[in-house]
Amino acid sequence: MDVIINAVLISLTAILIENTVFSKALGTSTLFLAARSKKQFFSFGLCITYFSVVSSALSYFADYFFKDNEYSYLFMPLIYVLIIGAVYTITLLVIWKLAYPFFLSIKKFIHVSAFNCAVLGALFTNALTEKSLIEYVAYALGTGLGFIIAAFLVTAVYERLYSEDISPSFRGLPITYIYVGILAMAFYGLSGGTIVI
Amino acid sequence: MENNKPSKKFDKTIFDGLFMKNTVLASGLVVAPIIVSATTVQSAFALVIAFSLITFLTVLISSFVPRDMVYAVRIILYTVIAAMVYVPVAVFADSFMEQQFSSLGIMFPLLITNSLIITRSEIHFFKLDKLRMLAEVFFYVLGFDVVAIIVGFVREIFATGAIGDKIIGIHFTLPFLSTTFGGFIVVGILAALLKKIKLIIRSNS
Repeated sequence: MDVIINAVLISLTAILIENTVFSKALGTSTLFLAARSKKQFFSFGLCITYFSVVSSALSYFADYFFKDNEYSYLFMPLIYVLIIGAVYTITLLVIWKLAYPFFLSIKKFIHVSAFNCAVLGALFTNALTEKSLIEYVAYALGTGLGFIIAAFLVTAVYERLYSEDISPSFRGLPITYIYVGILAMAFYGLSGGTIVI
Repeated sequence: MENNKPSKKFDKTIFDGLFMKNTVLASGLVVAPIIVSATTVQSAFALVIAFSLITFLTVLISSFVPRDMVYAVRIILYTVIAAMVYVPVAVFADSFMEQQFSSLGIMFPLLITNSLIITRSEIHFFKLDKLRMLAEVFFYVLGFDVVAIIVGFVREIFATGAIGDKIIGIHFTLPFLSTTFGGFIVVGILAALLKKIKLIIRSNS
């Protein structure tokens, strides 16, 4: 029971306190891409969650084998990339073989959802602290769900951010940055942070 | 008339990379390293070196990957190449500027999946001839570098009231600018400034 509660807490931490976008800015450019379409942001987020979880589970074993190596900081990025690459290839092959229409629907963005800072960042963040396999998976799950929440919050107002109501200089990307900044401030407050002025 | 064409093209390359299609301020790409790491001029400088070396060398080597190879394999190869390029860059960083590079934390290895390598190279850079591609990559990277230094400078001076060891006479500091949300807001304001300049140029021409 303790294991489950601990895993849930780790997931919640990754979603709210260490949100991949709002607290670490990881996957922000991917978020801007996902937020463009109301239809697509959820499947985009699910793909990121899937790649984070499966890759993190595999990276647990890699971290276990190489954690004591003094040169691990040099070759771990390569190992992580190979893990994500293997998961990506196998996933594509399976979907292509078993669910071709689904493959066509995610074909456009699946490569971006596999190779981005949010997924790779989850693997690196997991390696920073001593964790069990379940905790690795829980953190990665929280990272993916945190991305979905961030994508939802941006997608919900995406049209407004590009509307004529916004002054031309701020319209589009500039106001999106500021909007994400304000959301990040709210999430910072959620984690107990205070602003000193 | 014919002779003007290449130089006009080259002017456009410089202008697009640095300004019109600026990686961070106009395209919204490679945002995380700027937000997280460019909090001081010194850390921005370390970021600039790491990003420039990793991106330029990776795109250059990746351009030799055959285009008739399946896209799914190509994209894996690009990131594998980036991860391999990271090794000598990290060794260099460790040997010469260990303190500055340690401030980048996990953002340093995360540069291997930056959007210039993963998306921009495939949809833009690799469609050009080699020389033009190198020039474009150079100026897109330079565009990122300039923004990183400006953001680092603005955040350091307004968050701490100092640049490095030198205290500047600013009495009203905003320490929150060093945080993630402060980074988003600074980048947003700079993006708006760039857009304003672009609008003025457009209306004048």
